[in-house]
Amino acid sequence: MSHSQLDQLIIMANQIADNNHLDTDAESIEFIATHIKKFWARSMKEELIAYAQEGGDKLNVLATQAIMVLSEQYTSRST
Amino acid sequence: MLQHFDPNKDYGTPARVSENLVTLDIDGVTVTVPEGTSVLRAAALVDINIPKLCASDNLDAFGSCRLCAVQIEGRRGYPASCTTPVDAGMKVVTQNEKIAKLRRNIMELYISDHPLDCLTCPSNGDCELQDMAGAVGLREVRYGFDGHNHLDAEKDLSNPYFSFDPSKCIVCSRCVRACEEVQGTFALTVDGRGFDSKIAAGQDDSFLNSDCVSCGACVQACPTSTLMENNVIEMGQPEHSVVTTCAYCGVGCSFKADMKGDQVIRMVPYKGGEANQGHSCVKGRFAFGYATHKDRIKTPMIRDSINEAWREVSWEEAIGFAAKRLKEVQATYGRESIGGITSSRCTNEETYLVQKLIRAGFGNNNTDTCARVCHSPTGYGLKTTLGESAGTQTFDSIKYTDTMLVIGANPTDAHPVFGSMMRRRLREGAKLIVADPRKIDLLKTPHLKDAIHLPLRPGTNVALVNSLAHTIMSEGLEDKAFIDSRCDDKAFIKWQAFITEERNSPEAMQSITGVDAEDVRKAARVYANAGNGAIFYGLGVTEHSQGSTMVMGIANLALATGNIGREGVGVNPLRGQNNVQGSCDMGSFPHELPGYQHVADDEARGRFEAAWGVKLDDEPGLRIPNMFDAALAGSFKALYVQGEDIAQSDPNTQHVEAALKALDCVIVQDIFLNETAKFAHVLLPGSTFLEKNGTFTNAERRINRVRKVMPALAGKEDWEVTVALSNALGYEMNYSHPSEIMDEIASLTPSFTGVNYERLEELGSIQWPCNDQHPDGMPIMHVEDFPIGKGNLAITEYVATDERATRRFPLLLTTGRILSQYNVGAQTRRTENQTWHNEDVLELHPHDAEERGVNEGDWLGISSRAGQTVLRAVISERMQPGVVYTTFHHPGSGANVITTDSSDWATNCPEYKVTAVQVEKVTQPSEWQKNFEDFNTKQQDYLKKGRRSRTEEVSP
Repeated sequence: MSHSQLDQLIIMANQIADNNHLDTDAESIEFIATHIKKFWARSMKEELIAYAQEGGDKLNVLATQAIMVLSEQYTSRST
Repeated sequence: MLQHFDPNKDYGTPARVSENLVTLDIDGVTVTVPEGTSVLRAAALVDINIPKLCASDNLDAFGSCRLCAVQIEGRRGYPASCTTPVDAGMKVVTQNEKIAKLRRNIMELYISDHPLDCLTCPSNGDCELQDMAGAVGLREVRYGFDGHNHLDAEKDLSNPYFSFDPSKCIVCSRCVRACEEVQGTFALTVDGRGFDSKIAAGQDDSFLNSDCVSCGACVQACPTSTLMENNVIEMGQPEHSVVTTCAYCGVGCSFKADMKGDQVIRMVPYKGGEANQGHSCVKGRFAFGYATHKDRIKTPMIRDSINEAWREVSWEEAIGFAAKRLKEVQATYGRESIGGITSSRCTNEETYLVQKLIRAGFGNNNTDTCARVCHSPTGYGLKTTLGESAGTQTFDSIKYTDTMLVIGANPTDAHPVFGSMMRRRLREGAKLIVADPRKIDLLKTPHLKDAIHLPLRPGTNVALVNSLAHTIMSEGLEDKAFIDSRCDDKAFIKWQAFITEERNSPEAMQSITGVDAEDVRKAARVYANAGNGAIFYGLGVTEHSQGSTMVMGIANLALATGNIGREGVGVNPLRGQNNVQGSCDMGSFPHELPGYQHVADDEARGRFEAAWGVKLDDEPGLRIPNMFDAALAGSFKALYVQGEDIAQSDPNTQHVEAALKALDCVIVQDIFLNETAKFAHVLLPGSTFLEKNGTFTNAERRINRVRKVMPALAGKEDWEVTVALSNALGYEMNYSHPSEIMDEIASLTPSFTGVNYERLEELGSIQWPCNDQHPDGMPIMHVEDFPIGKGNLAITEYVATDERATRRFPLLLTTGRILSQYNVGAQTRRTENQTWHNEDVLELHPHDAEERGVNEGDWLGISSRAGQTVLRAVISERMQPGVVYTTFHHPGSGANVITTDSSDWATNCPEYKVTAVQVEKVTQPSEWQKNFEDFNTKQQDYLKKGRRSRTEEVSP
């Protein structure tokens, strides 16, 4: 039993979201995005951003929104 | 070294601490000592050495041999100076004719029942009895040797490391007292009375079959050769000693390596070592034979594929081959396609160099360390709440602890020397609370009173810690003054509202944790009202899907009760391997440069770029589990592993094996062909702690020197190998000694700026931070403030793990360690420690055994969603029903074939402590085990062929 790399990243992102329901969704989203930005490798972020941009069905709501925040940051960074 | 005492001298009785000083006269010399000091010690402090036999400065005075008799003005008779405390104005005479005669008479009686074989005795030259006979001037034994005696008493040779020869015993009981007072095991006793008195292990068992844990305290205490190391019996007395630091657990014991030339005769715990204070365990004391074991890899080896034999080659060829392969992989797959793993068994200097090679030489941040799979949540949790990724105390601080809260740790097995310090404090009356699914041995401490055991279900730590905190806050047990002055207001108010919600109460959490609510409330009251409450935790906290949350929950408890910032309290992570703290400090994690400075911090990164002369990536790299996933996805293709065995130690073995097989180049630097090396293309010989200079940092942030006592068997110390690889890759490194590496570390790491080898020699050891603000280091942290200003009480919502008992997998497996073996067992399996644990077994509760018709010793198949393995059954009431347990010290056991990819949400630390499994009787090994045996046989054959080819090549 092993997950693919993408499956594992989805599990990890959802897990971060599940463990960090803060007072407001905005705070939670900011926390999740910051955590992933701070601790994940570039390639992991890029893979999940690409997945979220394509719909990201398996990501939970907060994780999806956090990845979209990251997506904006990383897009603006590379331009 | 700067010492207030000479650690090589025995002062007869322990030091006393008192503000009241007492002045007395001993043989005309004026002496001032703390109140409570014995006359014997006071005399020794001014170099008046009164003869003694039953006294030792690590044992309470006993007064049985009477050899230390003195005369005291105004007192009758000849009081024993060991049991006589000093008095102001006391006048003591230690030598005159009457005293000399008395001492000679005593010695005469001892020697009348002692074999006179001094010239052939193993302790010849290192025998206190012999020394005292000389000191008192014994010239004849008037009683003769024909009367009743013990000269034919039978030897006990059952222990593989030491012998017991009762014919030489003087029944001074130092061994018995060392077992009780120093080790805390109470395995030895004095059997019989008068002439029949004899030392006995247990109920007159052999040493091996008794409760003896082979810590060596009795051997060290013995003033004759009654208890003697077998190595000394076989090889004779050592001729020089070197003080160094043990390479087993995170206690970081100091030892004197007693040497004969380049050969280690014995390791003797060093009294000047601040961490262990002269004590040891069976691993550090005796299990060093692996260093010269025949399995040591002494020549570099290479091969193109893991399906072919190794070829022994020169260092130059091996390093060149490795560098070429790494460059080819990067040229084909990109800069981020390679990475490395630093070792928590290697020195700080070596770890620093590996991460430097990866960041500067490989050009990415794909560096990680085995701390990923043990204490990475400690780093995250403590940095978030207290502002520093480290334990807050010294080990010595436990002397002031009133209540110990031990969570998910088994110190008497995994950190035995500190376990003994805990037991000593418990015997003195400290209270004990243990939160653990199993009944750990600390709960069986002799003379322990009022212990509370909270036997929680695996995976429910956060629910439990929240209910403890709920009790403290709802019953008004918090330290309001501490919270007001030391904790962040906003964070506290938020946390208080969260934790006092009814859903966090012990009553609400009872159905989750399985722990009786009243017991939780009682434990919370005991901890909060302790006076000094200290928390000790281990991997039973960190290795969970909520490992980081639990660490924060623990810090919350300490902050809310004001148990931070002074002796006797604190948050104390018990680190697994010898240099876990150091490997984290040295920048092994992919997101942090040395000193926990984030790679995205432009200012910090800029300093490293300037010093290292290269541009560094500002994005974190891959963590170990991410490397495996990326390897299987095809984007990660080469790995340099120094001194770790990920194929055995990491979870979901089949996933790890598949990832290793998917790599184009695996470079393993290790002392043996370990499990990971069987998947390697380059095998670079590693060096043991005995073969190199450097430093280790233990669980109390203590930086200790590691000193070379013998040449590196393969010609290079580990740091030299990394330097050679870096230079071959084109990133120049140029060091001539590890002290230069430490100087570089100090120049780039704010918490290390005051650390250098000269300072370490001067102080003996240093607890970081050591800088301008703390020039001698900092034993107790957070005394006045936190690195983040105020303590941050964090919200710790309980989230159930996905690993839960189901109909298919109804039991929960938890894994751990045992006293005699260490981690993956690569070292201890190659010693006589195999005597105690030569296979991993599955422990299960009698109820679960009965339900499955399992008898002791049956073969059991253990299945999880990750895989299956087979182990022998041990039925044990220390388990709770529904929970099974095993260790992972033997590779063929496949304990990690069963553990899954579930991990901590914040750090990816694997959830080793919770795996849903089914257990059933079987008759044959699992498929994985059969494949393992085949693969192992093949790889061992490849190794033999490689060695043979070299022999043939060099033969005329």
